[in-house]
Amino acid sequence: MRIWLLGAMPSLALAGAGFAALVYWPIGLEPKLSAIEGDVQKGAYLARMSGCIVCHTDTKNGGKPLAGGTELPTDFGRFYSPNLTTDAKAGIGSWSIEEFAKAVRQGISPEGEPYYPSFPYMFYSGFSDQDIADLWAAFQTVPAVSEPSRPHDMMPPFNFRAGLKLWRGLYFKPEGFVSEPAKSAAWNRGKYIVEGPAHCGACHTPRNVLGARKTEFALSGADQLPGGGSAPAITSDKLKANGWTVSSLKYALQTGLMPDGDVFGGSMGKVVRNETAFLTEQDREAIAIYLLEGSN
Amino acid sequence: MKLLVTIASSALVVSSVAGAIAHSGATGVVKERMVAMGAMGKAMKSLAGMMRGDSTYDAETVRNSVAVLQSHSGEALTALFPKGSISGPSEALPAIWSNWQEFEDLSEKLGLYATALGRASDKELQQPASGSGMNAQIMMGNGGMMGQGMISQGMMGTQSMEPDPDRLAQMPMQALFNMTAQTCSVCHTKFRVEK
Repeated sequence: MRIWLLGAMPSLALAGAGFAALVYWPIGLEPKLSAIEGDVQKGAYLARMSGCIVCHTDTKNGGKPLAGGTELPTDFGRFYSPNLTTDAKAGIGSWSIEEFAKAVRQGISPEGEPYYPSFPYMFYSGFSDQDIADLWAAFQTVPAVSEPSRPHDMMPPFNFRAGLKLWRGLYFKPEGFVSEPAKSAAWNRGKYIVEGPAHCGACHTPRNVLGARKTEFALSGADQLPGGGSAPAITSDKLKANGWTVSSLKYALQTGLMPDGDVFGGSMGKVVRNETAFLTEQDREAIAIYLLEGSN
Repeated sequence: MKLLVTIASSALVVSSVAGAIAHSGATGVVKERMVAMGAMGKAMKSLAGMMRGDSTYDAETVRNSVAVLQSHSGEALTALFPKGSISGPSEALPAIWSNWQEFEDLSEKLGLYATALGRASDKELQQPASGSGMNAQIMMGNGGMMGQGMISQGMMGTQSMEPDPDRLAQMPMQALFNMTAQTCSVCHTKFRVEK
């Protein structure tokens, strides 16, 4: 089979334009997302893990679940998380699942506008169709809130939204989740969570002047986070040098307690209380295994 | 094994030296509360070892550690934070004094949980069931993603629980201990400088 392909390839390539046409010839049908049955509980779990709930709920000011309004002060302006409730006007109640999928995985609104990368869609680009269907099913259970989303308060030139198309061209490289068959199932689950939904790199990877992550320094720590905090390096080397073990790391993700008896403050305290504490023991362990073993 | 012990103990020496350096220059209440926080950290570390099953459960040790938490909670804690005391190496945020009520409540809560932990210390420690048990349940509770109150109540709906140490002491030790640690973490998130 492979030999046949090898033999066939050069002749196809020689066909030039014909080859290109073949490459772009669409085959199959787009799986219809609406045909996939979503699981509310799995979706709610994924929404928790992905930070949808914590970022889109203004807990500090008594906001309703997922009604948005959480402020994120950055060097580019002030972001306010939008309303994701089922309200048809103020929320996403009138969206189709296809529009939802495009927003989550590609960062593009139903109107075709690019979202600011404060919404970490690049981490969600590897979500499977089933993940999307589960999330969608869970979002349908959110009570409608008619309070409109507060517009972002951006500083020029960042208020020019179309400029984000350039940013996307430079920095948005959607990748599906790639598993490593040589690694354990737990490691692969950890990789999926860390690089995907939990979007650890959003804080722990340094960013350039345009707010894009410097991927060559993945998880090596960052300062000047929104609000002024910093995030330590969580690469395998650094974690091990600081005495972390799978056991102590998964325990810290559950309780916030570090091996020396101190607790996480700052935004990591919030992440633990609102996200990782809600995960299953297996998922916390998977995160710890992946981080400590590292990606090599 | 011996090597491990040597490494561990030298790490301890290093960390206490680092602690001493961090505290150096602190005077008065700032120094006093840094020492108190250090003592609570040590108590939490000792408790955590038992809760995680890394060290053998010992009710006496639990009571001693819990007594440390109790003695530094409530008014004993808040009294060490007179208005504007952020001199020297202090890591306190001024938010403490603009949200004094919340700061007081958290300090009270710490004392309450510590008391409950002490009362629960005679119970057999339950096997750490896979996960904290509560999590998955709560997050999906009420038949939907965000069922009512899930977020505002936080995990386990601690706020709706009666502030009664005897009732709290009915809970599994680990759950109670997690709530204690979370109280520390909430307070540090809001009121401690993030380094």
